[in-house]
Parts: sequence; C-alpha cells; structure tokens
Amino acid sequence: MTTKPELDLGRHLLPGIIAVGLFVVMATLVVRSSFGDPTGFGGVGSVTAAIGFALFDILGAETVPAGTEGFLAAFETIAFVLVAALVGGVTLARREVEGEVVTALRSEVDRRWGPEQTDGGSPTEREDDAR
Amino acid sequence: MAGEHIAFSFAPAIAALPLVAFVVALTFGRFMPKGGAFATILATGGSLLLSIWAAVAVAGGEVYHETLYVWSPAEALELHFGALIDPLSALMLVIVSLIAFLVQVFSLGYMNDEGETGLPRYYAGMGLFSFSMLAFVMADNVLMAFMFFELVGLCSWLLIGFWFREAGPASAAKKAFLVTRFGDYFFLVGVVGIFAAFGSGLFVGDEAFPVLAEEALANGESVLGFAPETGITILSLLVLGGVIGKSAQFPLHTWLPDAMEGPTPVSALIHAATMVAAGVYLVARIYGFYALSPTALAIVAFVGGFTALLAATMATVKQELKQVLAYSTISQYGYMMLALGAGGYVAATFHLMTHAFFKALLFLGAGSVIIAMHHNENMWDMGGLKERMPVTYWTFLAGSLALAGILPFAGFWSKDEVLYEALIHGVNTPLLLAAYAMGLLAVFFTGFYTFRMVFLTFHGDPRTDTAEDPEGVRWNVKFPLVVLGTLATVAGLINMAPVKKLLGPDIDYLHQWLNGPEEAAALTAHHYGDLLHDYAGYTAADLSPLLPAVVSLGIALAGVLLAYRLYAVPEPEQHTDRLGAIKTLWFNNYYQDEYQVWIAEGVAYPFAKAADTFDQGVVDGVVDGVSSVSLFSGSRIKRIQTGIVTNYAALLALGLIGLLLLLGVTGGWFA
Amino acid sequence: MTAPLQYYLLLSAALFCVGLFGVLTRNNALIFLMSVELMLNAANVNFVAFSVYHGNLTGQLFALFVIALAAAEVAVGIGIFLVLYRNFGEVDVTVPTTMRW
Repeated sequence: MTTKPELDLGRHLLPGIIAVGLFVVMATLVVRSSFGDPTGFGGVGSVTAAIGFALFDILGAETVPAGTEGFLAAFETIAFVLVAALVGGVTLARREVEGEVVTALRSEVDRRWGPEQTDGGSPTEREDDAR
Repeated sequence: MAGEHIAFSFAPAIAALPLVAFVVALTFGRFMPKGGAFATILATGGSLLLSIWAAVAVAGGEVYHETLYVWSPAEALELHFGALIDPLSALMLVIVSLIAFLVQVFSLGYMNDEGETGLPRYYAGMGLFSFSMLAFVMADNVLMAFMFFELVGLCSWLLIGFWFREAGPASAAKKAFLVTRFGDYFFLVGVVGIFAAFGSGLFVGDEAFPVLAEEALANGESVLGFAPETGITILSLLVLGGVIGKSAQFPLHTWLPDAMEGPTPVSALIHAATMVAAGVYLVARIYGFYALSPTALAIVAFVGGFTALLAATMATVKQELKQVLAYSTISQYGYMMLALGAGGYVAATFHLMTHAFFKALLFLGAGSVIIAMHHNENMWDMGGLKERMPVTYWTFLAGSLALAGILPFAGFWSKDEVLYEALIHGVNTPLLLAAYAMGLLAVFFTGFYTFRMVFLTFHGDPRTDTAEDPEGVRWNVKFPLVVLGTLATVAGLINMAPVKKLLGPDIDYLHQWLNGPEEAAALTAHHYGDLLHDYAGYTAADLSPLLPAVVSLGIALAGVLLAYRLYAVPEPEQHTDRLGAIKTLWFNNYYQDEYQVWIAEGVAYPFAKAADTFDQGVVDGVVDGVSSVSLFSGSRIKRIQTGIVTNYAALLALGLIGLLLLLGVTGGWFA
Repeated sequence: MTAPLQYYLLLSAALFCVGLFGVLTRNNALIFLMSVELMLNAANVNFVAFSVYHGNLTGQLFALFVIALAAAEVAVGIGIFLVLYRNFGEVDVTVPTTMRW
C-alpha cells in the first residue's frame, strides 16, 4: 500500500535544508568553473560497438576511441559479484518451517496458497496443520 | 677523630649484639629452652663487656668518632649514622648495658618462672629496645638520635602492651606512645630547624651544631632569620618538647604511671633507668647548645623543679607499689632537669647514674615482692615481708635510703649536688631560686613517701594471707638485686664533691671523667662551664656546701621520721585520708589525665573532623566534580546515536557539505 | 550538438540531491532503496557527461558497471529487508533502533 508522500515541515525541514544546501554548493562549483567544448566520439562509427570492444579488451585505433581502457577483468569480476548477490539474496530469503524450506514457489508446507491464488484468485479457507 | 684503641673497633657491636638477639629471639625463640632469654642475656652481657672496655679506652684519653653509614651523600646535607664514644656516652653505655643485663637475668625469674606465655616476643622486644637505646646513646648526630629516640618509644609501646589481650595494658601502651609522640613532634621540628639553621646535626667536631651556634652567637649572625639568642632559644625549646615527653616531665608526665601496666622488668629497664633517661641524656649531650641560652636553661630548671614537687606530692597518696615508684621516677627526673637548667652538668649526670641504679633496684625489688604476693600490688595487702624476704628487704632498703638521699648512700651525694648547684647559680636568679625551693620541698615528700612505701610493704604485721606466706624467689631475682644494692650504696663514692670542697682531696672522679680528653674539647664539663659563664651569664656564688647539705639531709630525715612515726607500726592506718580534699586532688593526679583527654576530645577531635569534612567535601568534591562533568557530557552526547538510519545519513550528508565548504574556502574554489 | 557540460553536471547534482532528500526523509524501506538507486543514477549521468566531454569511453563503461553493481546491491538489500520484516514486523527503517546507546 503506498501513500502519497507528505511534506512534513517539522521533520523534513532539516533534511530538506541539507539536500538543498548540498545542491547549492555543487551548483556553485559547477557554474564557477569553466569548461571547454566537449569532445565527441569522433572517428568511431558506433558507440555501442565500441563499448562492446572495450569490454572485451579488443582495443585498437579503429574499434575504440583513443584513451579507452580495457574492462575484461572488471567484466568477469562483476559477473562473479552478480552471482554472489543472487545467491545471497536467495539465502537471506530462506524460511524454514518445521524443517522444510519454504520458497516462493510451491512447497508442501504452505497450504494456504493454492493454485487459485497464484493465478490471481482469492485465498480460500483450508484446513491444514502447517500454520 | 677515629679512636685507635682496639676497643673502639668493636664499638658498633655494642649496639648490634642486642639487635642480633632480637632477630634470634623472634625467629627461634620458641625453640629455645628459655624462650629466647639466653640470646638477650648473652647479647647484653657482651655489650656490657664491650662498653666497659670502651670506657677503659676513653679513660686512657681517647675519643671515638666514626661515620658508620652514609645514607644521603648529598653535598648540601649529608645524613649519616655514626658513633661517638666520649666520656658521657661511654658512661651511659655502661649504665644501660649493665641494667639491661641485670633486668634480663631478673626476667628469667619474673617471666619464665611465673609461667608467662609469649616469651619470645618479650625477649625480642627487650633485645630491640637494648639495641635502640645503645644506638641512641652512641649517636653522633641529632637526626640519628631522633630516629632511635622514636624507636625506643616504639619498643616501649611493644613492651608495655605485652599483655595486650587485656584492656589496661593495651590502652596504657597506646597512651605512652601518643603522649611521647606528641612531644617528639616538637623535637622533629627542632631537628629540622637545626639542620636548616646550621646545616649540620653533628654533636662533635668542628661542624658540630653547638660549636656553630656558639660562633653564630659570638659573631651576631642570624639563626633561622632571628637574632641568634632568639633562634637558639627557639630550637632549644623545640627539642625540649621531645625531652619533656620522653622523660615524663610536666605536662607530658601522664603516661608513665599508666606504663606500670607492663611487666615489672620492663618498668625497671625502660621506665626507670634507660628510656626516660634518654631525654635527660639528650640535653646533656647537646649541653653546649643549651648553655648558650639562659631562657631555655631557666625553663628547663623550672619545669624540672616543678615536676619534682608535683610528682612527689602525688606519690605520697598512692596505694600500689609500682605507682609510688612511677611518680618517684617522674620526680627524680625533675631533679635532673633542675640540675641541667641550673648549670650543674656534672650533678645531672651523677644523679642520672645513681638514679638508674637505685630506681632499677627499687623496681626489681618491687617485682620480687609482686612475685611473692602473686601479682597483688596493693601495699595495704602487704606487711611483714621483712622476715620472710630478707634479701629483697635489705636491698630494697638500700635503694630507698639512696632515693630518700640519706648519707652515705649514692642518692645523697647526687641529689645534694643537684640542689647545691641550683642554689649557687640561683642566688641572683629568682626563677632558679624558686626551682631550688620546690626541689628542696620535694626532698621532704621524697623521704616521706619512700619510707611510707617501705614500712607498709615490709614492716608491721602481715595484713593478708598471701603476705603471711609469700612465694619464694630464686637466685635469678636475688642476684640482680644484690648487685644493684651494692651499687646503690657505693656509687656515691665516685663524686663526693662536698668532701672535696671541704677537705681538699681530689676525689671528684666523675667531674674529672667528664672533663675528659682534649680531643673532644667542646664536649667537656669545663667547656660547658665557660659557655654558661660567657653566654648564659651564670655565676657561681661562693657558698660552702656544708650548710645546704645539712639542710637537705635534715629535711629528708624529717620526712623519713614522719613516715616512721605513722607507718612503722604493726597495724598502720590510712593517715593520708586526713588530708581530705588535698588527698583527692593528689590521688586523681591533679586531674591531668582528664584534662588531656578533654584536649583530645574537645579540641583536637572537632578540628580533625573539620579537616576531614574539608578533605571529603572540597578536595574530593573537586575531583568528583571533574568526573561528573565528563559523565554528564557523555550522557548527553551519546544521544546522537539514535539507531535510526536516516539520522545517520543526515549526519553524513551534513559532514560532506561541511568538508566541501572547508576545502572550497581554503582551496580557493569560491574565490 | 551536445549541450554544454555544465547542464549535465547540474542535472546530476539535482538528481543526487533529490535522491539524498529521499534517503533522509522516507520511512518505507523499499522507497529508501529507490532513493539510493536515484543517487547512483545521478552519478551515472555524471560519468557519461564527462565521458563525452573527454572523448573517452571509460566513463560510459564505468557507468555500465555501476548499474550492474546497483542491481546486485538491491538484490542483497531486498533480502536484508525480508529478514528485517521477519524480526520487526514492519519495513519501516526508523523502527529497528536497538543498536544504539
């Protein structure tokens, strides 16, 4: 159930001031500094293709713009981290009821939710000894 | 001035032997056959032999002064232990070790034969006391003297409270320690003052502080910021505080009668002959300092004379044997102080010696009687012991005659010389003359109470069954009594000054002894006489000693005669009751005990409580306040940690903004 | 033609501050996580803007990796909130305040 966010000036004043203050500081810094013209990605046909080449360490004058680094090691690391995060999330979500693991998918323990509920129906009264 | 005589190389052993006995008796006493007695007897016997040998060496004209151990080698102030054996200290060493030896032998009879328990503690205490007293006598500087002065007081506490499980002895020991400690406080201030004023506490040599004081007085230099006479008087009076406490003079005399709660040999050794002598010995030791100040001398003499009379009056109404002797001790030390104050250095030393002998004798005799009477000290329960205890009786009589000052016993010669010196120096000084008068009056009381004591104890019919059939005493009691009895009779022969003055023969041996070798010229009686004449203004009137001697002898005999009339009857009555209210006053010791308790409870205790309140409230309060500030601020600051994540994030962001601003301003981003 | 760099930086700063406000203010745990995502994306915008400015693709690749990491972080975060719900009964982040004085 979501509610419309209310602006509570009592409690939200200080965070508001902090956020606005930070924006003001950063904006001042940005406005006061002088940047030149942005250099585009000249000489490279497709930026997306160049990203792919750089991701796999295929660096060359015709594939990636000058100065780009290779990200193969980071790519592999990120893959590993994502797997770890997935496993971690599943582990944290585990629930054990009477020795058997309850998952979001169907299990023998949880009788309250039948096939009607997973298809969008409403829960029915069922007699069970699980909960 | 290191003596070359071989006797002097053993000088430290004179004091060290009893210390070894102390350790032996303490650790092995319970395995030894007599509970450690043999250790102390051998040790004091050894000290006696070495003291006699050293005295022989001194008689040959040598003086021994050696620094034994330096424990503060600072340039400005060197503090050390050293030994000084000159005529005065050699004489005192012989006296102390002789009496200690005899008392140890007596203890075999008093303590061992009576089946006392805890004997190793007793003999260890005796050994420690002998060590302290001998080291005190041998001390060559005032700080060492002070340290052993205190140690002697400690041993007194240990030994008076020997039967500590009873309330009486424990309380008496505490009282003795506290009262003497009170006096020693002034002594300590005096010691510090002496070091501050003269930079040295030595008794002998060119750096000796009496010599330095004499120079200061002659040159008119200031002492401690005062004029020299004032400074010297102040220091003398401060040291006198300790003397008054230790030698039981008025007003710090109240501890000595209570100290009779200890065993009788302890009373004989400590409270008759040696520890109380420490005070008088100290004044004699630094007499070159006291002789420079007529004010101090006058005060010493007056205190002495006053105490002599005061204590003599209190002794006349006492019922217990040892109490009479205790007040007698106080009175006789008053005589010694009178002599010192009146310029009679030789007389005071002479009386110190004879008193040590006859008072120890009287106490040991009393101990013998107490053994016989099964520890009942009340004279009114005694009587008729003359036939039953002949050795005790005759020696006790010799001691009493000496105490009363009857010719030709030792006490006559010494007391007579004390009074004579007071008279001839006091002819022009009213204070000294008043002190002399008090001393003379005390002679009557002395004769009276002494023989009241003798007649009540030994004459007449036995008043109780115990007196009829007293317990016998053995050789270990009789032997010291005989030795001391002989000494009490003949010791006067060493300085029969009146005979010399009247008839001419050069028999004032003690005077010659104290005039001593030239090596320690500043410590001789002759030098003191010069100081008294030059600085204190004492002149000796030219009186024949015959008349004063006859007068004092007559007064003493009058007192003896009165006691004979009243008490040498088969069934004496309590004649002192006829004095009525005066007797009550004397029996209650002029209420001095109550007065001192009042000072402690009424004056010192509230002051102590106020100081305690200040300490707890202000000093502790400041410390507690500092900690409470820390605690309070901590309890407030910890509330930042609310546990709510968003608060922490807010603080993080705030910090970030702050940092950015700081960096921006200092780094010139906004400039 | 690309816009001047300052606009992108301002945009990034504004997004970041909006996300910050959300983190500081919102009580619901899931909205809290969304605000954190917003802050991460603000950083991504910054990366890409500078990548175009310098003509160096590193910035864009970095932004890709940030997205991937953000996803991983959300996965773990949701798991933590599940456990939180089991222990405290609510997903309000101001409720669990036991780790304090």
